[in-house]
Amino acid sequence: MTAPHADQLIDGYLARLRVAAADLPASVRDELIEDMRAHIAEARTREPDETDATVLNILDRLGEPAVVVAETRERLGLRAPMPYRPGLLEIATLILVPFFWPIGVILLWMSPAWHWRDKVIGTLIPPGGYMGVALFGVMFATVHTGGSCVTVIEGTGQAIQNGCQTATGPSALATALSIVAAILIYTLPLITAGYLGLRLRWGRRTQLALG
Amino acid sequence: MALIVKTPRYAFDLIEALGKTGLLTTEGTLYPLLSRLRRDGLVKTEWRESTDGPPRRYYELTPEGRRALTAFKNEWTSFRGAVDGILQEGIKS
Repeated sequence: MTAPHADQLIDGYLARLRVAAADLPASVRDELIEDMRAHIAEARTREPDETDATVLNILDRLGEPAVVVAETRERLGLRAPMPYRPGLLEIATLILVPFFWPIGVILLWMSPAWHWRDKVIGTLIPPGGYMGVALFGVMFATVHTGGSCVTVIEGTGQAIQNGCQTATGPSALATALSIVAAILIYTLPLITAGYLGLRLRWGRRTQLALG
Repeated sequence: MALIVKTPRYAFDLIEALGKTGLLTTEGTLYPLLSRLRRDGLVKTEWRESTDGPPRRYYELTPEGRRALTAFKNEWTSFRGAVDGILQEGIKS
């Protein structure tokens, strides 16, 4: 009788143990894995004819990695890591990042619910949230209404000439592009807030899966 | 701990001994306990080659471990006496 999948089964068990023990101090985790490895090796020498089933029985008797790791935490007085639950701070962040950027960004960087990469995205797209967009809009308007209006007023107070010389009129394509750009720019803060909201949920699910 | 009073033993051997008493259901949970005892200085460990298998980590009581075991024995004896007393009281009435 042979155990064609013995190594696969044992490696799988040790890998699950390593994942479950990921938050333990390295010295504790290494010792635990080493002990388990020695135990499995010892147990295998006791089996006169090894099959996949006897290997599975050895692993079963050892217990689920999560149970062994929980026992280790308890014995050594280590607290299980609490999965971070997003709350008021994150809701305030999602509202304030687009509408009141400086405070929103401070909250964003304070919250542990986001990965640093998402914090950078939340900060820079667009910088300033709607305040930044408004500022950008003012600058854009100043630069592009390059025309000058001239009003010539007669002595009696009547305007005899009231004409605006606009700069060369924009083409249809440029108008369409600027409309699209405007829509994009004005919705960008909301898109970013939505993105942050999604990343928040995903982050939580990942933590629970690793639990 | 009482299992290693007389002679150092290795974990698998301990697990077999405990298995016979029915005290241990999840074998893996013995290792955190042994690790804790070692960190508390109640047992010391040593790897030894074995003739019939992989090297084994042997566990041995330290003087401090012996003292702790004696203290536990006394406590357990008085606790058992108290529980027995209550149970017999219950049977009488």
